[in-house]
Amino acid sequence: MADLGRAALVLCLGLSLYAVVAGAYAAHSRKRRLAASAANALLASFGAAAVASAVLFSALWRHDFSFAYVADSTSLDLPLGYTLSAFWGGQEGSLLLWLLVLTGYSAAAVLLNRRRTRDLVAWAVPVLGVVAVFFSFLLVAVASPFVTQAAPLDGQGLNPSLQNPYMLAHPPLLYLGYVGLTVPFAFAMGALLSRRTDERWLVATRRWTLTAWTFLGVGQLLGAHWAYVEVGWGGYYAWDPVENAALMPWLAATAFLHSVMVQEKKGMLRVWNVLLVILAFCLSLFGTFLTRSGILNSIHSFTESSIGPWFLGFIALVTFGSLALLFLRLPLLRARTRLESAISREATFLYNNLLLVALCLTIFWGVVFPIVSEVVRGEAVTVGPPYYNFFLKVFGLPLLLLMGIGPLIAWRRASLAGLRRTFAWPLGAALLAGVVLLALGAGSSPVGLVGYTFCAFVLASILGEFFVGTRARRSLSRESWPAAFSSLVARNRRRYGGYVVHAAIVLLAIGVIGSSVYDSTAEAKLGPGQTMNVGNYALTYTDLQERETANAREVRAEVAVSRDGRALGIVRPGKNSYPVEDQVSNEMAIRSDLVTGEDLLLIAEQVNPDGTVHFRALVLPLVNLIWLAGAVFLAGALVTLWPDAREQRRLALRAEGRLVDA
Amino acid sequence: MSRRSNPARLVIALSVAAILAVFLLYTSVAGGTPSLKPSELQGRTGIVTLAGLVIAPVRGDAHGSGLRFELRDIGGSGSVPVRYRGSVPDLFRAGRHITLTGELRNGVFVGKPGTLVTKCPSKYTAKKQT
Repeated sequence: MADLGRAALVLCLGLSLYAVVAGAYAAHSRKRRLAASAANALLASFGAAAVASAVLFSALWRHDFSFAYVADSTSLDLPLGYTLSAFWGGQEGSLLLWLLVLTGYSAAAVLLNRRRTRDLVAWAVPVLGVVAVFFSFLLVAVASPFVTQAAPLDGQGLNPSLQNPYMLAHPPLLYLGYVGLTVPFAFAMGALLSRRTDERWLVATRRWTLTAWTFLGVGQLLGAHWAYVEVGWGGYYAWDPVENAALMPWLAATAFLHSVMVQEKKGMLRVWNVLLVILAFCLSLFGTFLTRSGILNSIHSFTESSIGPWFLGFIALVTFGSLALLFLRLPLLRARTRLESAISREATFLYNNLLLVALCLTIFWGVVFPIVSEVVRGEAVTVGPPYYNFFLKVFGLPLLLLMGIGPLIAWRRASLAGLRRTFAWPLGAALLAGVVLLALGAGSSPVGLVGYTFCAFVLASILGEFFVGTRARRSLSRESWPAAFSSLVARNRRRYGGYVVHAAIVLLAIGVIGSSVYDSTAEAKLGPGQTMNVGNYALTYTDLQERETANAREVRAEVAVSRDGRALGIVRPGKNSYPVEDQVSNEMAIRSDLVTGEDLLLIAEQVNPDGTVHFRALVLPLVNLIWLAGAVFLAGALVTLWPDAREQRRLALRAEGRLVDA
Repeated sequence: MSRRSNPARLVIALSVAAILAVFLLYTSVAGGTPSLKPSELQGRTGIVTLAGLVIAPVRGDAHGSGLRFELRDIGGSGSVPVRYRGSVPDLFRAGRHITLTGELRNGVFVGKPGTLVTKCPSKYTAKKQT
């Protein structure tokens, strides 16, 4: 079996090498049949990667401990779901997942585009091939998942703290996001190589970017939610290098999704878009490298491994190669129109892009700062959450504001009178919200107050857009309000789906601001019958209970919760100890208020032999809006992704029309 | 269109300048924390982050007089006694890699509350065969 897996990987390497060499030669000398053959080799490499993956899955399924990989990461008593999820648990398996997803995406992208954009695909094939060659080479020569050994009786097992449903979904979602960014990159390079630098590569890859970006976004939120409910330190994001590794390509892709619209509409920012695609792809490689190389001190301390230098070399190759190509093609990428006014839709997009990229790069700087300072000063200096929080405020708040301005402002040049008219309603709403919040005491944090005022501004402007659009549609078609609303959204999926995503970002901002600047915490050591206060909650420790379960001893403190004198029930924070694994896990109690979105977290930090308990309590206002934001984000992304034949035709026509003009 | 009246250049130049200014401002106001191995701590003053391996025995009470243990270089032999009060992550125990922020006082590294971070064992690692 292992031989079959190894053979499939070698075949995959051979096929993708062929796709690179034959594909590049065919594209260069315009040999159509050879190009088709290279594309077919890329399709076949997906088959080979699928066979290799099937071998590993079946080995996991059968608990075949003669596979070193299976023995190292599973055991006989591990439930089936977690056994199979060990596929992406270790390094070799996750590289194989990269390869599988990459070849799968490549095959689909080639199949869907080979008729419409043949000249682009001819060059995209060898570029996709290069990435596939890199990963299959690693799997064949450096980190093979098919190393065999004399089978031990049982495997080493899986860490209990990671036997969690979130860990089934979180890593593959992130991979689907990371790898998905390869497709727009390959088509951008294809456009440069083929000198077809019109807008077609954007049209061909918009959905791929959106898909990858959606996976990355949802994957990160799942990770945050897992950290919040399971790890039990009372937070959801710690600016850890590995968390940042996923955030950076997401920010770059967000910038790209916006600037693409400027290029489609006005033919501007063409160099910038290629740069963003290169940045997003390199950051996704860098993210994989960070999580897998162990180069940085991270909460996720993955074992230091042999693939680090290879990755670094590949990242350098991709960066320099693509930048050199971009430089060579600069004359082809002149903008057809210019920015006419600093107050216009396209200028707002530009500001949005600068802020997103600035945020992305400052995070990057923070992540690599320990390495840079080690080289420069001989001492690794880490920057902590204060650094990131500072820049999140500096760049994030203006971004939030722009989200309300951008959609309302006119293309080309906005007139002052027009501005006054469009902004009267959202500005009024924001001012009103600001005054009300001030009266409610939100002034205790100026950042929070400013942030919430901006949130109100953006929400008002989004609602206004929906209202104005629906009203216009209704007066045109005499439909009922709901019918007019749904046909409005259906006819402009990108625009209104985008607004829904904006609303999700506002919800996220509300949740993050509420839980990080208006939170309260308290700590106390309580004996039975004693009470502590946090926020406007009173917590009375009543009783300590112990229970033996199949594999753990559970200790729970019973705590009666009341708010403003009203009893709200009992929560039970505690600890589980697992004697076999010799491990303790903190079982935090969360009491969510679904009306206000507020969470009360209670952690039994330490249970003393005399029956006293050291508690830590946190009140995080509005934190549940973060998880709600995830659902809204997904809904908005699905609206924009939903196939819309009319729009695709329109865009393709426009791009072709441009080609004729030029 | 003349160069003077093209706001794009101006906008980009101004934005880049603003970003740089913010950046310099930040780096001059608040620096990062040096991260060291226990063996590099000798004679060091000020707040640093220590990364190392927890050596048994771990004594004391994290919410009373403080937890006391030795922290040793990962893959080395230098070590330093540590005292820490505050929240302790689940995975903390002898034999684990941790990072802790604090400062050296009279030969003992005193951690700041809430800065003790246990590294997650690599996603799916072997059980410790102790």
